[in-house]
Amino acid sequence: MAASSRTFRDLALVLILLGIPVLLLRSAAQEPHRLSSFDRAVRRIGGPLEAGLGYAAMTVGSFFERWLLQARLQEINSELGAENRELRLRLRELLRIEEENRELRRSLQMRDKVAEDMLAAEVTAFEQSPYFRVLKIVLDRGDRFVRPGMAVLADTGVVGRVDRVADDRSDVMLITDPRSKVAVEVARTRAAGILEGAGEDRCIVDVASETPVEVGDLIQTTGVDDLFPKGHPVGRVTAVENLVGDQQRLEVLPAVRFDRLNMAWVILASAPPPDGQADLRQERPAARGLQPIH
Amino acid sequence: MLRASLLVALGWILSAGIAGLSHAFALTLVLPATSVILLCHVAFDRERTLPAGMAIAIILGYIEDLHQGLPTGTLSLAFGLVYLALAWLSLRLAVQGNVVRALTALCACFAVDLLTWLILVLLADPLGISREGLRSGLQMIHWHALATMLAAPAVWGMIAGLDALIARLRRNSVKSANQTHSIPFKHDP
Repeated sequence: MAASSRTFRDLALVLILLGIPVLLLRSAAQEPHRLSSFDRAVRRIGGPLEAGLGYAAMTVGSFFERWLLQARLQEINSELGAENRELRLRLRELLRIEEENRELRRSLQMRDKVAEDMLAAEVTAFEQSPYFRVLKIVLDRGDRFVRPGMAVLADTGVVGRVDRVADDRSDVMLITDPRSKVAVEVARTRAAGILEGAGEDRCIVDVASETPVEVGDLIQTTGVDDLFPKGHPVGRVTAVENLVGDQQRLEVLPAVRFDRLNMAWVILASAPPPDGQADLRQERPAARGLQPIH
Repeated sequence: MLRASLLVALGWILSAGIAGLSHAFALTLVLPATSVILLCHVAFDRERTLPAGMAIAIILGYIEDLHQGLPTGTLSLAFGLVYLALAWLSLRLAVQGNVVRALTALCACFAVDLLTWLILVLLADPLGISREGLRSGLQMIHWHALATMLAAPAVWGMIAGLDALIARLRRNSVKSANQTHSIPFKHDP
């Protein structure tokens, strides 16, 4: 008897519990404007519960979402970091190529500036003094191309001349070397002299000039030694010492920064002398209108 | 009561978690119905009375209603009815082992989805739901059931962990109660 009453009670409870979703559904199916008082009561009870559960669900959901988003952000961050490293490497490479390109352009312009037959050479080594001054440079051209004594130029000025030549390289004696001598002139006054090396990035030249030479004047080659092309820059006057009469001793700073030199040009042969007969050899145009009638 | 509350809480956390994960991964199809797995556990557990199980089923269904944005009461009713069927089956079948549990979850998910679909079709006009959409939704049921089947062992494992936690809590509380009520032995002079 007790068991059957319990079963009956359980069944009743189950039916009541099943009635709850039915009532909720009934309330949901009603039009909001035509709600009965019972449906309104159901909504009034269920509304806050719904809102609370909805808010809690949103919070938990957003927690997972944030957690995942953070993981994804970390992944993206590491990917971007790797990409950034790669791009930096590429940028460094591009900057190097840009610098090389600029240098090559300058070197190509040398062809237009200098009429002599030239050979491009790369600077492969330096010899430095204890004070980090460049004493000697080594080019990558050997005895197949160059001979001792040939002039070496850079786009910014005179470098020196070839001193010793090996199979695959050649040593260059710089204009700052005490053994070096170059025929030069002051560009402004045309006062000529022989530039001698004084070591440690310095050169000395004695000139006789009616117009006094000033600090900052440009020194250039005269071309009389048939070695260096005429008018190529050598350096600038940094100090002037007045000697006897109109004699002046000039201290010259080379125009070329030997420690930054990557490329140089070896003058293989002097430019041919200008052709004096060139004008005469030109064919004269025929005089139209005064020709004999054949 | 504690166990029932913890089951409901687990159901709610799993539903919210699945919703959050699905939103984060932009998944809509292959999502497991974790509440259905809990429903199977509640039905085959036999540790509670029919009304208590029914109450848990309806609460789980209500939470699912809110998460899935269905008209309130749809899944609650489906969960209640499927619980009744599962409770009746539990008197005749024993569900043991991961494979059988997964298959049970699969069948329960099919049943819940079909019932929900039926309720929605019946109430499509008053609820303003398009029947075309419901028809296409019916074709997705198998994905839902498949995902539920795959997730079943993991959820059952969580329930086992929850049971172990409750058992430990009860053991501790009993032990501390025994210590409090024990009378120290007295030697007769």
